[in-house]
Amino acid sequence: MLATVKQNAFQELVSGASHEELVWMNGFLAGVLSVGGSLQSAAGSVALATDPAPVKLTIVYGTETGNAKGLATRLAAVAKQQGVRVKLAGLDQYRTADLVKESYFVVVVSTQGDGDLPVTAVKFYEYLKQQQPGFSHLQFAVLALGDSSYPLFCKAGEDIDSLLEEKGARRFFRIQKCDTDYENDATTWFREALSSLTQTSDRAALVASSPAQTVVQKTGRKIYQGTVLSSVNLNDQGSAKETYHIEISAEGVVYEPGDALGVVPENPQHLVLEVLSLSGADPEKRISYKGAESTLLHLLKTKLNLVYLPERVVRKYAEVVQQDIPETRIGLVDLLKIYPVKDAAQFERIVEILEPVAPRLYSISSALSANEDEVHITVAKDRFEVNGETGYGLCSGFLSSLSESSAFSFYIHPNRQFRLPAPEQDVIMIGPGTGIAPFRSFLAERDAQMASGRNWLFFGDQHFVTDFLYQTELQNWFETGVLTRINTAFSRDQEEKVYVQHKMLAQAAELYSWLETGAYLYVCGAKEPMSIDVENTLLRIVSEQGGKTEDQAAEYIEWLKQSSRYLKDVY
Amino acid sequence: MSDNKNLSAVEGIKQKSKGLRGTIQESLRNEITGSISEDDQSLIKFHGMYQQDDRDRRDERAAKKLDRLYSFMIRLRLPGGFLTPEQWVALHHIAGDYSTGVIKITTRQTVQLHGLIKSKIKPTIQAFNSAQLDSIATCGDVNRNVACASHPKQSPVHEQVFAYADKISTLLKPKTRAYYEIWLDEEKISERSEEDPLYQDRYLPRKFKIGIAIPPNNDSDVFTNDLGLIAIIEDGVLQGFNIAIGGGLGTTHGNQDTYPRLGTVIGFTDTEEKVLKMVYEVLTVQRDYGNRSDRKLSRLKYTVDKYGADWFRAEVEKRTGFKLEAPKPYTFTQREDYYGWEENHEGLWYYTLFVENGRVLDTDDLPMKQALLDIAQTGKANFRFTSNQNLILSDIKKKDKKKIQEILDRAGLIRHTETASRIRKNAMACVALNTCPLALAEGQRYLPDLISRIEPILEKHGLSDEQIITRMTGCPNGCARPYAAEIGFIGTAYGRYNLYLGGDRYGERLNKLYKESLDEPAILGELDTLFGEFKHGRHAGEPFGDFAVRKNWI
Ligand code: SRM
Ligand SMILES: Cc1cc2nc3c(=O)[nH]c(=O)nc-3n(C[C@H](O)[C@H](O)[C@H](O)COP(=O)(O)OP(=O)(O)OC[C@H]3O[C@@H](n4cnc5c(N)ncnc54)[C@H](O)[C@@H]3O)c2cc1C
Ligand SMILES: Cc1cc2nc3c(=O)[nH]c(=O)nc-3n(C[C@H](O)[C@H](O)[C@H](O)COP(=O)(O)O)c2cc1C
Ligand code: SF4
Repeated sequence: MLATVKQNAFQELVSGASHEELVWMNGFLAGVLSVGGSLQSAAGSVALATDPAPVKLTIVYGTETGNAKGLATRLAAVAKQQGVRVKLAGLDQYRTADLVKESYFVVVVSTQGDGDLPVTAVKFYEYLKQQQPGFSHLQFAVLALGDSSYPLFCKAGEDIDSLLEEKGARRFFRIQKCDTDYENDATTWFREALSSLTQTSDRAALVASSPAQTVVQKTGRKIYQGTVLSSVNLNDQGSAKETYHIEISAEGVVYEPGDALGVVPENPQHLVLEVLSLSGADPEKRISYKGAESTLLHLLKTKLNLVYLPERVVRKYAEVVQQDIPETRIGLVDLLKIYPVKDAAQFERIVEILEPVAPRLYSISSALSANEDEVHITVAKDRFEVNGETGYGLCSGFLSSLSESSAFSFYIHPNRQFRLPAPEQDVIMIGPGTGIAPFRSFLAERDAQMASGRNWLFFGDQHFVTDFLYQTELQNWFETGVLTRINTAFSRDQEEKVYVQHKMLAQAAELYSWLETGAYLYVCGAKEPMSIDVENTLLRIVSEQGGKTEDQAAEYIEWLKQSSRYLKDVY
Repeated sequence: MSDNKNLSAVEGIKQKSKGLRGTIQESLRNEITGSISEDDQSLIKFHGMYQQDDRDRRDERAAKKLDRLYSFMIRLRLPGGFLTPEQWVALHHIAGDYSTGVIKITTRQTVQLHGLIKSKIKPTIQAFNSAQLDSIATCGDVNRNVACASHPKQSPVHEQVFAYADKISTLLKPKTRAYYEIWLDEEKISERSEEDPLYQDRYLPRKFKIGIAIPPNNDSDVFTNDLGLIAIIEDGVLQGFNIAIGGGLGTTHGNQDTYPRLGTVIGFTDTEEKVLKMVYEVLTVQRDYGNRSDRKLSRLKYTVDKYGADWFRAEVEKRTGFKLEAPKPYTFTQREDYYGWEENHEGLWYYTLFVENGRVLDTDDLPMKQALLDIAQTGKANFRFTSNQNLILSDIKKKDKKKIQEILDRAGLIRHTETASRIRKNAMACVALNTCPLALAEGQRYLPDLISRIEPILEKHGLSDEQIITRMTGCPNGCARPYAAEIGFIGTAYGRYNLYLGGDRYGERLNKLYKESLDEPAILGELDTLFGEFKHGRHAGEPFGDFAVRKNWI
């Protein structure tokens, strides 16, 4: 009865709708029919009937590297243009008490870690979880940012979406999950969502045409082919660590200081062969996985995560092979050995439940202003013990084994939250271990800019003699005045452990005076315990030096965060 | 006085050092380098330390963007080379805790530890201090560690002579308290209160070395010192000392103005008061007349040659207010250590242990360091060091000898000392690579191998029992006194050595250059020929060095 285009649109409309929405549509169509008039007037009247005042919209964002924030800001501008009253806030700044006053509420949120919320969204989520259902006044829509190369695509968005629903709020527009090339999908979705609210636009028409989803091509992210120029272990003999400084050449590569390089590591050949031999499957057999077809060999080598499977995958494996398997993380090879598959066909079903290899990020330690067409990274070879044997991290193991002129693919993961300030501003950088990486980039950039602002670096590691990453470069920067101050903490050179935060404390007065005169403070490296100890130390310094109470000190830090003068890139 | 128009840079550093303090404290606080400032590197020597870096690791560390592997070598002030067992135990642990662990006995009877990183200097010095040990003035332009004949069996008056080493060392110690302030956190007293009439604020133009010998053994190589004291003993009574001035060995490749020189005996004096006064005024004359513009020409030997030994004696006599007597006769008939067990006149026992190139460490086949610790822990033996880089377990009561013997035996040290060839036991090498910044070639890391290749040649010629003194250094500075050897190897470049011949057996005649820049095959080839000629052409009992002179090889 309907033309194909219309039918598709209608079906999408219906299938993407919640129960409430269906009820609403039902009523809406009934209304249209009852007046016997055009959709236009019906829409107008209905909207008018339900919401005579101009639409009030709150857009909140949860971000780690700034994508969600940037996007939310642009969306807010679009809404304003259309006469919508918009309020924009980060989820970490958002006053949860205001939730009861909201009417339309759009959440733009990215996913971090292994399907986790961004740190900035955690407080909001936990608050909402504690609440009783009863947010029926709240009309929400979620725009989820993610990366389909991760196993749990846009999981944080999904979680917020379902939590809001659970708490009684009403979804006024379907969730949109966006991949790394989110711009088009996101704006299209937003225009649609907006038009579902405003009287001015023709909602049905818009929905019907809905061109973005079919017309706009997926650009994906830009993949670069890098060639290793050099790779050197920065740690000296006798160190407990191996940290590789890898210089990669990549024609035309574009990034800014603060960005990270992303790699999807390949599985080692021996592992793939072992899986194949245990499975009895034909390596050349073409198999479809997540909508793309390739040989099994290729899939196993480049796409699937075979090591240290998460519990959720182990559970699914148990279902397929129909055996009792304890739900703990374990490698596919071990699973296949202990709980073998029946035959090649069953193995193909295992392939379906395997997850893609997640990309790994490495803070870029170079600056284009100093090294055009190059990107440098600082990779700590991850080492761990399993059953008394030494194992190495998949990606860091892979990267650190790369020899000169070997090639591999990577992409740039921008971090808009971790940017240098204007050249005349002062900068304090706290980066122990591989946390030094972005600061090598910062210093190279500030050097090239001939920035007049002062630079102060805190670095730390285990031993002065073996673990002083980039020592000679830092010495040069100190001698040429690019580095105004540098303090180091080597934890294991003396009986008592000395860390960067101890060095900060020893310089408390000076550090506070830098902050008071507008310095930007950056922290990079281990999230735990380093970044937490550093923050506690900052609180102490601000309170002691500034003569502030604990609360006032916390406010001060909060104010630094809000003014983007206290930035973290921790992992 | 001396002609010093253009003072060398070090002179300026000393003068503005505020009593050897310089900016050492600031340098220690610098967190981004393991080194200290250049000026402080000159000053820290006066505190007994040298900044070094591991030369083997330079390139690799540079590639790793790491600074050079800087560390410090510390040298103890041990006049006459003596430690109590408690002190050895302390030294053992300090070496293990803060340095490479190797205890290095030097050619001047003291010990050095290598590889201390900057942050470990203070704990090291503090630990030494707790053991009543210090490193004051073991380096720098001051009087250095006083060397002395090492073996108490040499003479009943050994102890009396030995005491001079300590007295001279104390007399000539700089007066500044900088060492105590910087390293031992002593509170600073006013800088001006440390008047130092001897060193003033200029110190000496250069290092100054004093050695004491008890004839007939010249183990302390008395003539290679700036100032040598030769004990004159008649009828078992110490009469006084002959005084020799102007010894010194260091030369510089390509600098014709530099040369090794043996001391000139200028006279004799008797009482302790007079001896100390003489010694003191020799230093003041050198202080006032030594060359302060060219450090290559500033040792006492050049001052003596510039003004003449007679002038020098007269100037010293003027300052002491008394005259030296004519030198007394003496004879040296030995320079070798007394390996193995020896008893002194009081019935105390001594075991001289062969320590190849003075390196005390544990290896799989020879747990020397552990055995020495075990011995020290019995508290039954003192430790003495010889100028030939060996160690004497000393002053052992007869009843304790068995216990010490057992420990030595168990560790294989008796066998080690007894079975080492004669040529090996009479050989010395300096430190050289990898720590000595001046080394051009290997020293102690290479000589043992070379000796292993020379041994079969000697054996071939039936000369295995021959006492031939062989010494090697990695550069012409002469730290293992190669110019006073029968066979001297002096490094010119990596793997290449100048071969010197013709020194006498007792350290009274310098050798001379025989062939230049030989590599190992050339060295072995030359020695094969020379030994062959020696075997067939020597007079009965004629030492190798004397034969070389008679044959005009040089
Ligand atoms: C450890 C020792 C050699 C050994 O293997 O035992 C030694 C080692 C060094 N000597 Fe020496 N000298 C040592 C005995 C000697 C001797 C032999 C002696 O005194 O009986 C000499 C020749 C006698 C003399 O002084 O003329 C000697 C003449 C030199 C010279 C040349 C001095 C000169 O007048 O030309 C230098 C270089 C300098 O002073 O500029 C030097 C410098 C050095 C330095 C400190 C290198 C430096 O200046 O940076 C060497 C440290 C190497 C290291 O890594 O340990 N060393 N040095 C000896 C320590 C003695 C002590 O306990 O004080
Ligand atoms: C924004 C950001 C910036 C970063 N910057 C840097 C940087 O500059 N430098 C840097 O080095 N890293 C950086 N990282 C960390 C990096 O991305 C990787 O997480 C790290 O290299 C580990 O990855 P991997 O593949 O080597 O280890 P994985 O294989 O992922 O292993 C990680 C951990 O999992 C466990 N594990 C894995 N396999 C097994 C097994 N078979 N049995 C038992 N346990 C196992 C171990 O605990 C192991 O340590 C950054 C991360 C982020 C998020
Ligand atoms: C460390 C890390 C882990 C991530 N994990 C996931 C994930 O599990 N699922 C997902 O869909 N996206 C994941 N992403 C992708 C981000 O959500 C995506 O890059 C997003 O654009 C980031 O937005 P933001 O800058 O606002 O934080 C991850 C990104 C990073 C840096
Ligand atoms: S002789 Fe030369 S190489 Fe040997 S320790 Fe002395 S200065 Fe160094």
